[in-house]
Amino acid sequence: MAEPERERPGGELPDELRALGRALDRPESGETMVERVLAQIAAEGALVRRPGPRDRLRESARRLRRALRARRRALAASVCGLLAVLALTPPVRAAVVDWFDFGGVEVRYDPSPPPRSGGPPGCSGPSVSLARAARDAGLRPVVPRALGAPDGVTVTRAPRDRSLITLCWRAEGGGTVRLDEFPAPLDPGFSKLIKGDPEWVDLGGGAPALWFARPHRLEFWLREASGERWFRTVRAAGPTLLWTDGRLTLRLEGVPSKRRAMEVAKSAGPDGNAPRSAGVPEVKCDGGAEGPRPPVTGGRTCASEGARRGD
Amino acid sequence: MSARGKAPGRAPERAPGRALEGDGIGVDEAAVIARVRAGEAEAYAELVRAFTGMALRAAAALGAGADAEDVVQQSFFKAYCALGRFRDGSAFKPWLLSIVANETRNTVRSAARRRSVTVREAALTEPEPLIPESANPAVAALDRERRAALLSALDRLGEHHRLVVTYRYLLDMDEEETAQALGWPRGTVKSRLSRALRKLERLLPEGSAEREGGEGRG
Repeated sequence: MAEPERERPGGELPDELRALGRALDRPESGETMVERVLAQIAAEGALVRRPGPRDRLRESARRLRRALRARRRALAASVCGLLAVLALTPPVRAAVVDWFDFGGVEVRYDPSPPPRSGGPPGCSGPSVSLARAARDAGLRPVVPRALGAPDGVTVTRAPRDRSLITLCWRAEGGGTVRLDEFPAPLDPGFSKLIKGDPEWVDLGGGAPALWFARPHRLEFWLREASGERWFRTVRAAGPTLLWTDGRLTLRLEGVPSKRRAMEVAKSAGPDGNAPRSAGVPEVKCDGGAEGPRPPVTGGRTCASEGARRGD
Repeated sequence: MSARGKAPGRAPERAPGRALEGDGIGVDEAAVIARVRAGEAEAYAELVRAFTGMALRAAAALGAGADAEDVVQQSFFKAYCALGRFRDGSAFKPWLLSIVANETRNTVRSAARRRSVTVREAALTEPEPLIPESANPAVAALDRERRAALLSALDRLGEHHRLVVTYRYLLDMDEEETAQALGWPRGTVKSRLSRALRKLERLLPEGSAEREGGEGRG
């Protein structure tokens, strides 16, 4: 234990130094690092050297790969997700009671007072045609029939070389209706684990959807001006409907009525049908979680590449 | 009934988004290490998860700057490879830390040192979204200034002194752990520590914390 009299010369210095140490901390849950380290271990086929039967090693390598795959699946959605919906207690970090992922959206929630939302921002930047958006993003945007042709369409680059398509409409009251669309896997077998707020809703067609009735914090990625690295940005979001359609995840904001939001979502499916269930997610090797920096070694986590190339 | 979604690990101590909470508390190191040695490589995840915060802090404190994550990844990897040689019954944390320190030294060559100091200072002045909102901004600014002064004073200490202060205080290790991590006898830790503190005090623009702060520019 500390011996205070030994610390005499420094007076309050030790405490200050401890505070300094704490100030060096960055939010880091450890999951990203777990992913990186396990990937490297698997990539280099490294095993703790201990004399033992060969098949035990082989078995262990196999198990490691399996664990890694499961983790990738989880992380592809959570850490590399484009958008994270947060309802953390401001201003002090509170215990986040739970979290889950939904089609590339990480959701954490706790019973804290919601922020005030002034409605979603409109599509900033030059609007492009739907065809151009499809070309640029490499995915065909879904346009809900209930809303008609959008007033604005933008494509935003996102980490991992993915793209986010945003459609905007001017709402009757002068507000904005905003629909974000991006490709993301949906983890199966997950839906039954959640209860309470937010609310699962059924759009028919087997695709699950989530309704966030209360305003919440929305966190997303932006690239800094120099293009060097991504950072997370936070804004308050109003009521939001989140659903998947095939391999797309869609996020509708600016329609405060749940019923109306569901109508809009339903009208987004092919030929006016309900959106399709995503089924088993496709987990590509783009799920690394680290920032734009490449990992040190051959543990080539694809993540870094996408992020680096992304303009 | 807990909606723990698909949190990949089963570790109950998991605290999303939190740095360093715990420093390995809640992990039965010996048991995990035994499992890894028995061939269950993925058990290593528990150690990584538990010590990432501490390791990142160490790398940052030792000057890894922007390379901190890579340094830590590499350190965990090396620790994994060397786990067969880990002495049973000893603590994982100081052992890992000595690897982190080595790795940081290898990564950050002396030429890069000055840069790393700036990086660290920048890291400290960067807005921290989670905590400062609650604090009085004037107080926070003062703290930052003081911290920057501390950092640059630390940087002017000799290697041994800087290390012992960093381990003991910035990384908040006790004397025993510090001695283990640095591979020094405890007595040496003690004496170097007190000398280092005295020196540090002299290097600082003013005596102690309760200053008005007018001259934090060092």
